[in-house]
Amino acid sequence: MKSELLNKLFECVEFGKINLESPYPPQMKGMPGADEITREALESGITPDEILNKALIAAMDKVGQKFSEKKIFVPQMLLSAKAMNVSMEHLKPYFADGSVKRKGVFILGTVFGDLHDIGKNLVGMMIEGAGWEVVDLGVDVKIDTFVNKVKEYPDAPVGISALLSTTMINIKPVIEAIKTVSPKTRVIVGGAPLSAEFAASIGADAYGKNPQEGIKWLESIYRS
Amino acid sequence: MTGSFQHFRFSFREVAPTINEVLEYVRSSGLDKEHPAVVFTDQVLRQLDNFQGICGGYHIKKNEPVLPTAGVVKIDDFALHVGKQISRYLKEASYMALFLCTAGPDFSEIAGKLNHEGNWMEAYLVDAIGSLTVEKAMNIIWSNLEESMDKEELKISNRYSPGYCNWDVSDQKILFSLIGDNPTGIALSETCLMSPVKSVSGIIGIGKNLKRYKYGCKICNNQTCIYRKLIHE
Repeated sequence: MKSELLNKLFECVEFGKINLESPYPPQMKGMPGADEITREALESGITPDEILNKALIAAMDKVGQKFSEKKIFVPQMLLSAKAMNVSMEHLKPYFADGSVKRKGVFILGTVFGDLHDIGKNLVGMMIEGAGWEVVDLGVDVKIDTFVNKVKEYPDAPVGISALLSTTMINIKPVIEAIKTVSPKTRVIVGGAPLSAEFAASIGADAYGKNPQEGIKWLESIYRS
Repeated sequence: MTGSFQHFRFSFREVAPTINEVLEYVRSSGLDKEHPAVVFTDQVLRQLDNFQGICGGYHIKKNEPVLPTAGVVKIDDFALHVGKQISRYLKEASYMALFLCTAGPDFSEIAGKLNHEGNWMEAYLVDAIGSLTVEKAMNIIWSNLEESMDKEELKISNRYSPGYCNWDVSDQKILFSLIGDNPTGIALSETCLMSPVKSVSGIIGIGKNLKRYKYGCKICNNQTCIYRKLIHE
């Protein structure tokens, strides 16, 4: 029963079956979705920790893997993220009372001067799906906003994105300011025009080519 | 030939992308017709059918001879630092059509609302439709310019925009001041990004001996360009 429910939830997130009303995927039409299965799982005594780790994180890991391998693309990934989010709503009280612990806080934002948010949002969703609390500062984030958030969460790694070759250069002063107030804070950068070489040249600790690489990097921090 | 801003207005119906174009743009052509992305795209394209507010145009100005080694296009004593790559393709141009085009603020507003409601896939698709709409509108403006110039036995180049092919986005300020008053309503932020977001700007060369080169990464050596990554990775 327990593993069956967790497997079902895994499948709902993988294929973006949000709730009973969701008509997709066709083979799951008329069946409960992530919303109903999460409720049922909690009522049947499955711990929130198990739901998070064995169903949600595991499913989003598979989704990220499929995305890296170009087996699925952004729309499918966003649908999975929504299913995960619906399930996560049921777990919120357990995060709040401390009975379920996240791996840590991840601060995320698009650099000042840049208004693009699709890639950043996608990364945020996947990282949340990997068990982190994401503090999303939005787009056009000024240096002071990043610095103040780092002061608030001194142990949190920071992700900074840019979509234009003309705004990616703005990331450098943000990293410098962060490292000045908190030398140990680790920063990962990403966005279409960036490269690993560019990331290294501006003092970033890592470059995330896609959400999955970002998650792997965060895992390495979490385990160290 | 030079003069005021030539203005065009379009209904969504005139410049709407097809469902297949949208799905191809988001690399989802292979999805079955029951997939929510396909169902939503079909629905939203129908809902937007009567939408107006897409506009754009161009202002033709005479330019000084383009020196590819300098990477600069000079118009009315102002210099656009387009870079060596673009200036090489504009070296035979005697005139420049300085263009603007916008799909209006609605696409971003609808996408923002959907995002806020947690409908991320739907927001992403509306955003994609907005991007394709402005490009399609600009294709019509470009074709209109080509037709007009053909009557003068002049040829036109591809479109080039600040922010791409190593042309710094900060040149938007000069470009906008050269275009002058226009009814598109496009504004520039401090950091030279356009509002509404779904807008394009740039230049098109006009000249008797102007050759049109293939679009794409072959004309550009920018290894970190977003379009290179999208096309080749």
